[in-house]
This record gives sequence, structure tokens and C-alpha cells, in this order.
Amino acid sequence: MRNLFSWFAALVGLSAIAFAMSSYHLELYQKLLLVVILAIGFNFLFGICGQIAFSHVAFYGIGAYAVVILTFKLGWPLAAGIAGGIAISAALALLVAIPTTRLEGFYLALATLAFAQLFLVVVGAGGELTGEDEGISGYALPDFFGIPLTGAAYTPVIVFVLLVTLALILRLDRSYFGRSCRAIRDNPDAAQAMGVDVARTKIVVFVLTSTLAAVAGMSYAFVNNFISPPIFDLERIFELLFMIIIGGTGRHAGAIIGAVLLFSVQFAVEPFVGKFHTLIYGCVVLLVILFAPKGLMGVWDAMIAGRRNRDVGA
Amino acid sequence: MAEIGELLVSAVAAGSIYGLMALAYLLIIRPTGVINFALGEWAMLGAFAAVALGSDLLIPALHLPHVFSFVLVVVVIGLLAAMTEILTVRPLIEKGAPILSPVLALLGVLVISLQVGTLAGGTEALPTPPPFGFRRVEMGFLAGTPQAFYIIAVTCVVFAFAWFFFERTVWGKRFEAVAINRRAAALMGINLRAVGLLAFVGAGIVCGIVGVLAAGASGAFYQMGLPLAIQGFTALVIGGVGRVEGALLGGIILGVIEALAARYLPIPSSLVLGVPLILLILFLLVRPTGLLRSKEDMV
Amino acid sequence: MTVEPISGTTRRSFVAASIVTAMLAVGGTATAQDTIKIGVITDETGRAAFYAKPVTQGVELAAKEINAAGGVLGKKIELVIEDDSAKPDVSATKARKLVDAGVVAIISNSSSPATQQAQSVSLATKTPHITPANSGETLATKLDNPYFFQLGPLASTQIKTLMSYTRSKKFKRVAVVGDNSGLSKIIAGVFEKSLTANNIDVVVSQIIPIGSRTAVPQMQKVRAENPEAIFQAGIVGPQMAQFFQAYHQLGMKQPILASFNLSIPAYLKVAKDLMEGVAFIDAYDPAKERTKQFIELYKKEYGSVPFSLPGYGYDGLYFVVDALKRAGSVDKEKLRAAMASTKGWSNVMGARGATVNLSEKDRRGFDPEGAVVRLIQDNNHGPAVHSGTK
Repeated sequence: MRNLFSWFAALVGLSAIAFAMSSYHLELYQKLLLVVILAIGFNFLFGICGQIAFSHVAFYGIGAYAVVILTFKLGWPLAAGIAGGIAISAALALLVAIPTTRLEGFYLALATLAFAQLFLVVVGAGGELTGEDEGISGYALPDFFGIPLTGAAYTPVIVFVLLVTLALILRLDRSYFGRSCRAIRDNPDAAQAMGVDVARTKIVVFVLTSTLAAVAGMSYAFVNNFISPPIFDLERIFELLFMIIIGGTGRHAGAIIGAVLLFSVQFAVEPFVGKFHTLIYGCVVLLVILFAPKGLMGVWDAMIAGRRNRDVGA
Repeated sequence: MAEIGELLVSAVAAGSIYGLMALAYLLIIRPTGVINFALGEWAMLGAFAAVALGSDLLIPALHLPHVFSFVLVVVVIGLLAAMTEILTVRPLIEKGAPILSPVLALLGVLVISLQVGTLAGGTEALPTPPPFGFRRVEMGFLAGTPQAFYIIAVTCVVFAFAWFFFERTVWGKRFEAVAINRRAAALMGINLRAVGLLAFVGAGIVCGIVGVLAAGASGAFYQMGLPLAIQGFTALVIGGVGRVEGALLGGIILGVIEALAARYLPIPSSLVLGVPLILLILFLLVRPTGLLRSKEDMV
Repeated sequence: MTVEPISGTTRRSFVAASIVTAMLAVGGTATAQDTIKIGVITDETGRAAFYAKPVTQGVELAAKEINAAGGVLGKKIELVIEDDSAKPDVSATKARKLVDAGVVAIISNSSSPATQQAQSVSLATKTPHITPANSGETLATKLDNPYFFQLGPLASTQIKTLMSYTRSKKFKRVAVVGDNSGLSKIIAGVFEKSLTANNIDVVVSQIIPIGSRTAVPQMQKVRAENPEAIFQAGIVGPQMAQFFQAYHQLGMKQPILASFNLSIPAYLKVAKDLMEGVAFIDAYDPAKERTKQFIELYKKEYGSVPFSLPGYGYDGLYFVVDALKRAGSVDKEKLRAAMASTKGWSNVMGARGATVNLSEKDRRGFDPEGAVVRLIQDNNHGPAVHSGTK
């Protein structure tokens, strides 16, 4: 009960802050929460399971487009639209995962990168259905018992998705499945020898994390009630990757901190560095990889270990 | 059939550029196993350097004849590549970092190169005068621009040199040895550092060449890096990582299929974009090692 | 299924995250009441930078001139410029930032999709919002946003003007060529629809993909259909160069009629000597008196000759300022109402005699008769040879 209580407290707390913010900061906050969701899932796929897939943001887009097209272009009820979106995302993820499990490292990266580009090409050629490059707008969620789910009132939805994603990932991580994933990341042959079904595990991880990204995408669709292809650009996956690296690859806290840091700092330093902020990011990532490869969490761990050693020594 | 002649020349010229990019990837991947995604941006920087040096744009005071600007660009990008290897890749490899680390570090280099290029070169497409001008050149049934033939010629020379390097020189043998077995090569006394550095410098030189050729064709453009990077590794996957000839073959095949699809495929123009992507995915799934097998596979 | 307790590190990271977000939330903005803040959303390094930057330069020039003459309503104008990298979601976020910073109006200079998404914010916050140069056909109609006004020449106006220019030629079979950028696809789509509606058959329509190294296959396809004219809707530099190279190399002779994108002189560099005789749409007639004054001002300030893009930006700010004068206050509702009732306004842009007219029903201000057709002569933009759609 206490465990459930702390999750509920997080839901309330993270949602309540939203009501105290100006509309600009609220917008940033909601987008930040969504980026954190993506980071947590991507960290599991890349940091914990060692799968270099560049399709995470594409699935974010697939989820967004699926729910909007099913619900507002084809007229399905919202619940069916969401369920349909999840089904489509999972199916596509399966379609991508099954043939690519045989691919090692960079080939998987290339295949998923090609898939991500293909997604943009398909959306760009989809005519009225996908809105092509102009995107789809002018839709909105139905009111929730009379409360319009816009602005601060929409935050609980995003927070809910965030907490569910986090809970699921944490649960997976601490199970045999999580250990299998780490084994696959560190030494696939040894894992296979130890009885881990490497191919099946990889497929499950890919489908699961991609579907979680799709659900996050569905949440995104209703933040501004507008979706268009440039939002799901290739740049975004690089940004996500950098967040994981700087935060600490393979660490949940690292993913969260990396996402929060890179997202917020971008807006905070912009008045000072203007159009140079992406350049600075690139440099920071490079420095982190060279000098602090375990990221911020690695630095934090080292600090704690140092303190502990000092305490013991005295 | 005049059409086929025109189509072939432009397809092979495009394929030559793809092949050169694939060669650049291959030069680094073979001995180090590292895939350098920043190569596309290096070509972009080379293109802007070609504009700065070879035309009166960007740096009006510098307006060198083509030969000089060509050589200078190649030297500049080669130096950039050397710096990158020494500062970012070598420390990671020697530290024993997982192979992924240099790749990620090079992604950082990609972002840095892209931003520097955009801020320095600007957001307009800038040309450098094509060394042989512009007109319709006909050679038998083939027809194309002088620049297209020039690109094909330069590519042939580069690949001839690359083939000669790998097949006939000691350094080429060293590359192969390191590619086959790094530890054994080190034990045999091969200087891994030198090979690594040479690999990067070679890739940088090839990227510089791509930049000069592209700037003379359709200009230097801040967004030209990513498409080149994708076209490059698509060509690499098609042709096979194992052999230099594979890079050229992959490039030409990609260029020709793209051209044939755009000209003859009865699908809407906006979907033709998907053809190279589908080709890449197909090869990755069906034959990831590419069309040409490497020497060790054939033994 | 039991719910896992939140681990120590995860709890710590939540705390850290909350602190950071609290810091963001607290950051306020001091409003200086002695200036009138006008927000500008532009693109500095993204895919729309090559047309957004010059437009923003025009806005800055206008601000300088207006402030030198005393500003408006007794106060100086303060431009608050934000960069959205042509990313629609960032554009919306920046729009919010501008509103929170206290701007009385937003000027959107980035891509059409970015402007579209920024509208969700101008609608929600009831902030007057204009685009001086975007030509997206549905920008002012897709979202029923009474706070948004579009001053750029619509693609439909452009094609109608081109059609009237070539009416005497009685074209029956034409081609449309563009690239796969969002704007180009929108313009090409509108061109095709309009041509077809006027009983002109679009026998072939081709897209040159961004990142292409050649346009020969696409142009061969066009040549094979033997159209009487080619309508050019492209915008991306290298692809435009490839288009012209292929056109000449393949020995094609059809007249080329281009959208307002060719009013950007940059192409004259990258497709040098290849664009002779090409007709293009512009909203900028350098022979117009007011435009001549603008040219002098720009030359004095920047040392080079201006063209359409800075003109759009310049007019955009002047439009807002004119509406402010008519509104008599910085109240956003009054400003919006003044904008919506603009009649007969004209400045640098538009053909001679063209005026900007807006109404509650139609918030697209560019005069349907206000586009001109210019020819490229001697690697330069020649004078206007035609205007309007009659």
C-alpha cells in the first residue's frame, strides 16, 4: 500500500505543479515530461539491452498519427482509436524487429534509421489522410466529465503515462527479463550459451519499448492538438541519444536526469548563446563520452564512493 | 536512344558520389570497426571550403584556380579528420572503450560539424565554378554535363588509387591485416596508431573530394550532409564492406536504380523517395554483407 | 502484479527534476511598460532559415526606421525574436514564450507548418498573429483563428497571375515540377488544382527529392510528355540548380513559369546563366515609388540591394504598427479588431495600386490582383512585365 501511495503522490505532485505555471512554462513542462517518457524507454532499449535502434522517435510519431487518424479522420471512438494505435504500433514494431534481430550493432542502427525515414516519406505522401507536410490540426479530446482536457488540466494524463512507463520499465528491469537484456548487451554469445533466447528477448524489448514510445506519442498529439512530420525528424533521435549518454547510459535515473537537463538547459541558455546551443550540445556530448563515459550518474556514483571511502578511512 | 545515354551518365555520376562516400566509410570501418556518421558533414564542410577558396563567394579575396582549391580542400578536410582521430577516437580505442563509444563520439562530431558549417557557410546554396563549364557534352551515345564526366573520371582515379593501395602497397597490406585481426597485427609489429590515423585521413581526403565535386555540380548547401551520409552507407551495404570495389559497385547500383525508378516507375513522384530506403532495408535483411564478398570470406 | 517501490536513485532524480522545473516555473518576466513589445518567430539554422532570415532582417529594418521617427503611440518598439528552427512544436512553445513576455502581437517568419502550429497558441491566448510572407493556402482557414492574419501571396493568387500572364499563349498541356519540401508540395498542389480547374491539362508532375544529385530522370519524364510550359514550384537551392541544369542539358525549350520562390536572388548564383527568360511571381515591384524608398533605405543600411523577402518583413511590422495606430491602444482585442478591419493599406509589397484588405470573414490580406510577373534577364531580376489576374 505504501508503494502504491508513493506512486499516487508522484502523480498528484507532478500534476499539481502544472497549475502554478505560466502558459509558456506549462508548455515546456508537458513537453519535458514527454521527452522523459521517451528517454526512459529508449534507455531500456539502448542502454540496458544494447540495441542501437534509431526508430524510437518514429514510433512516437506512429502513435501520434495512428490515434489522430483513427479517431478524427476515420471517426472511430477515442478508446478504439487508442487501442487501434497501440495495435498498429506493436504490429509495425514486430514487423521491424523480427527480420532485424539477426543484425548486429550498426546494421540494426541503419535498418531502423531507414525505417524512420520511410515513416516520414509515407506520411509526406499520404494525401488527405495524413495531412502530408501541413500536418493535422483542429482536433481535440472530448471533455472529461465536463472538464476540457487542455492546458494544465491535461498534465495528469501525461504524468500518468510517464509513471506507468516508468513502473513497467522498472519492473522489467528487476526481473529475469532485465537480467537477460543486460546479458545480451554485454555478451550475446555468452547469454545464448546460458540459455537466454536472445532473438526472442530482443524482439520483445523492441516491440515493448516502441509501443511505449507510441503511447507517449498519443499523449503528445493532444498537447498542442497539432502533428506534422518535422516534429518527428531524425534530429530528435540524436537528441534522445545524447540525453541518455550524458545522463548515464543504462541508468533510469540517468535517462531522467539527462532528459531533464538537456531539454531545460536548451531553453535556459538560449538567451545567452542563441543559435549556438546545438553546437554546445555536440561539444558537451563529446566531452562526456571522452572524459565521463558513465555520464552524470557515473560522476555521482564516483562522488558517493569517494565519500564512503573517506568515511571508512577515517 | 539518346535518353538512355543521358540517364546513364547522370546516374553513374550520382553513383560515383555515393561510391566515394561508401569508400570513405569503408576506409575507417575496415581497420577500426568504427562507423563514422560524421562523414556526410565533412563532405559539406569540404564543399563550403571549395566555395570559399575557388569562387569569390564567402571569402572574396580568395579566388584560386580549380586545381589549387581542390588540393587545399582535400588537405583541410584531411587535417580535420586527423584531428578528430587523434582527439576523439584514438583515446577511446586505446582506453579499451566499447566499440560503440567512438561511434557515439563521432555523432557528437557530426552535430558540431553541421552547426559550424551552417554558421560559417550560411543557409544559401553556394556554387563554385565548375572547372570545365556547363554545356551538353556528347560521347557516342552518352550525354551529360562536363561536371558529370569530371566526377566519373575523378572517381575512377580515386578508386584506382584505393585499389592499388590495398592490393599492391605495404600500407594497404597492413590495413588488411588490422582489419582481419587487430591483436595479431599488433603482435606482428604493425603500428595500430598509424593505421588508424591513416584510415581517418584517407576518409577525410575522400570526403574533401566529394565536397569539391558536389560544390561544382549543384553547390554547397548546409543540409547536404545527411543525405550524403545515408546514400553513402546505402551504397556500402549494397556493395559490401569487404572490398574497395564493392563501394564503387554499390554506389553505381544505387545511382542507376534511383535513376531508373525516377524515370520509369509508374508510381507518384513523392513515393520514389522511398526506393533507396527500401533498397537499403532489403539488402540489410537479405544480404547485409553486400554483393561482393571480402577476401577472407572467399577463402 | 505488485507495483515496485520507487528506488532511491529514481526518487532522487525525481527530486532533482522537480527542483529544475520549479526553477523554470518561478522565473518571471519583468515587463517594461515604456516599450511596445512585438514578438518575431524566425528560423536561424533550420530548414527554413534561407528564407526566414531575410524576412526577419526586413522586420528589424522597419523597427529601426519606426523607432527613429518616434515609435508608435508614444513608445518605442521592442522586437522580441525567437528561433524555432522550423520545428512546428518548438514554434508553438516559442509563441507561448512570447505571449508570456508580454508581446502585443506575433510575427511568424518561419515555415508554414510552424506558423500553423504557432496559431494554436495565438488562438488560445487571444494574441494578434500575422505572417508577412507565408503563402500556405490554408493557413488562415484551417484553424478558425480570428487572431491570425496572412499577408503573404497565396499560391492560388500566384498561379492565377501566371495563368493570366500566359493566357494569350493558350497553353493546353503543361508540367509542374517542384521538390519535396513542405512548402513546395503545397504550392505544386495548388498550382495543379488551379490549372486543372482552368481546363489546362497537367500532363506530368514531378518532384526532385532533397538530397538528389541530379534531376535528369525527372526532367526526362517531363520532356517525354512534351508539355507546352513548365510551372516551377521548387524552393531548395541545389535541387533548383539541378532542375535548370537538366532542363538545358536535355535541350528543353519550354517556357518556365515559377512561383514566388524565384524572387529570392540566391538562385541566380547557383544556377548562373541558366535562368535567362524565366518568368516568376513576385510581390515586389522595384519600380513602385514606395518600393524605391525602401530600396534606398536598405542600401544605406546594409550596403546591398534588397529583394522581396526583406520587403515582406518590413511591411509586416509596418502593418502591425499601422493597426496599432488605428486601434489607439496596445489592448490585444482592439489591435485584433483594427487588423481585421484593414482596408486599402499598402506599403512596399504588392503591385502598383494593390492594397491589403482584411475582414472577419477573410483574413488573407494579399491583394488577389497584387502579384506581378517579372523576368530574369542577364542573371538579374528584371522589371515587372505583368500584374494581376486579368
